[in-house]
Amino acid sequence: MRQTMPVRLGAAEDTLIAQLKSVGADATAERITVAGLPTRRVESYHYTDLKTLLRTIPPLAQAANEASAPALRVPGAYQLMIANGVIQAASTAPAGVIVGKAHGGVLTTRDDVLVHLNGAFAKESLTLTLENSIDPVIQIDRRSEGEAAHVTDSLKVFVADGASAVILETFSGSDAAHVGNHATYIALGKGATVTHITVDLSPRAAAHFASNEYHVGEGAKLRTLAIHAGAGLSRTQLFPRYEGAGAHGDITGLNLVSDGQHADFTMDALHAVPQTTSQPLFKSIARGRGKAVVQGKLVVARDAQKTDAKLMSQGLMLSDEAEILSKPELEIYADDVVCGHGSTCGKLDEESMFYLTSRGIPKEEAETMLVRGFIEELVDPIEDEALAEALHGIIDGWLLGGK
Amino acid sequence: MTTPILEIRNLHARIEEREILKGVNLTIPAGQVHAIMGRNGSGKSTLSYVLAGKEDYEVTEGEILLNGENILDMDPAERAVAGIFLAFQYPIEIPGVATMTFLKAAINAQRKARGEGELSTPDFMRAVKEAGTQLNIDSDMLKRPLNVGFSGGEKKRAEILQMALLKPALCVLDETDSGLDIDALQVVSKGVNALRDANRSMLVITHYQRLLNHIVPDVVHVFSDGRIVESGDKDLALQLEAKGYADFDGALA
Repeated sequence: MRQTMPVRLGAAEDTLIAQLKSVGADATAERITVAGLPTRRVESYHYTDLKTLLRTIPPLAQAANEASAPALRVPGAYQLMIANGVIQAASTAPAGVIVGKAHGGVLTTRDDVLVHLNGAFAKESLTLTLENSIDPVIQIDRRSEGEAAHVTDSLKVFVADGASAVILETFSGSDAAHVGNHATYIALGKGATVTHITVDLSPRAAAHFASNEYHVGEGAKLRTLAIHAGAGLSRTQLFPRYEGAGAHGDITGLNLVSDGQHADFTMDALHAVPQTTSQPLFKSIARGRGKAVVQGKLVVARDAQKTDAKLMSQGLMLSDEAEILSKPELEIYADDVVCGHGSTCGKLDEESMFYLTSRGIPKEEAETMLVRGFIEELVDPIEDEALAEALHGIIDGWLLGGK
Repeated sequence: MTTPILEIRNLHARIEEREILKGVNLTIPAGQVHAIMGRNGSGKSTLSYVLAGKEDYEVTEGEILLNGENILDMDPAERAVAGIFLAFQYPIEIPGVATMTFLKAAINAQRKARGEGELSTPDFMRAVKEAGTQLNIDSDMLKRPLNVGFSGGEKKRAEILQMALLKPALCVLDETDSGLDIDALQVVSKGVNALRDANRSMLVITHYQRLLNHIVPDVVHVFSDGRIVESGDKDLALQLEAKGYADFDGALA
């Protein structure tokens, strides 16, 4: 007989349970009551022990009265804003973009506390239907404003067959200890091409959680780039599903962590049908006592023959105290596939440093060049020049800003 | 007598516990090209790295004077600004950094350190185009990441392009002929010869006489066991080619 031990609940869990009950999410409240927040004993949270890292939960967000300055402006972008979970009135949408709202959250249920919490707290979701190829970058500006708040928001995007779009999501807000739980669901129709970029620019005091679910249809091409460059604690969960032959995903992520920060990418990808491909690539740069985590899981379904998937994680340590943790997982049920994973981690190459400095480039500048070079592979495929420039600006801001 | 561009006095250097340079003395007056020949492992490349300031080597004794100024306390970037340029035997590949971006950073870093203004983009482009034409370097090559996927010849031509743009007082060419076919060797040598100047000196390190038919030296030195054991005019190189290095081993012992 299995003995059940009551879980000792902390202040964060008590607050969460009360908040869940206040919105009528009794089932989720019950889950937290029984299991608590995940600890290192839960495999998918092994390196990001929420029970230890998340000590307090601020009050549920109220509609915002004021807004901080936009964290990122991309010239020519079509902007939509969600502030403290409330969808703001938008300017006229470009042709082919239908903007709407839906009740509740968007993520498919799975055994994950962040997904459960988002579903419980999301009152409404912003929905976008892209009927054809959209030229301007579509920016979803997600804000957590005012006093420290527990903010939940949600976005669902349908991309029509053959359409293409670049979707940028930025997360920012007032300088307070917000806890943000964000969801994005993107469905790509046949032959659709989508670039999805998420950039966390939350204040250092905040905790940033995002769960991105992708449904990639037949012949569709998905490229993602998630950048952690803000919150003290951040975790972006990526759930791509390749659901039609010829579906392809370049799932990429960049952890930029400084002293005291903890950033985590956790991917759980499913190759559901035959002949789909993916090339997930995660890069982490850590300095001070920063800690970066990359967990990548590739699941190949039983009949998903001819799957070709390669997972790569590369880490660059800029200090002796920095930590970069990388865990690949392959779960393959088909027998005719090419799947692999690789991981590298190291400091800046001394030979490269000598080469650059021997040309008169000072040490600090040479380091910056090499770090930029390390990252370039992620930004280079982004074709929109204004967007690529904005992303370079964020990366440079991190590189040149303090240790 | 005018100050020589390079003066090395009794230079000793080691890597970890192993002494590699064992008392090098070498003076190169302005405008001269000196060649150092020696077999593999004699310490020739170490000399080039020590001149450029590579950290792995520890100088235990002696001095290196560039235009009369001791450079041993300078880091590699400061030495470059002072006028040393090392053309690498194996140029390093730097992924993600476009060659053009790198060239501009290097030129402007040196100008800034000398208190000169940054080169404007049109002036920079003009300088690169001018220097590149002579070396058969087109703009496509310069858009690629630095040395990444360059052929052996492209790498060496890119080194000489950097040399032409940075206008150093002392060029140190480490085995510039390695990995080059005859055609590439001619292009590279032509590029080097175009940089010969009354105010510039060169130290050409090689173990084949072949290169010295193209870049004709004023003085040839034979390097063995961490020091110069013989010096002479360009005929010394021919002599070496004919007889090998054995005659010079232990010449100073």
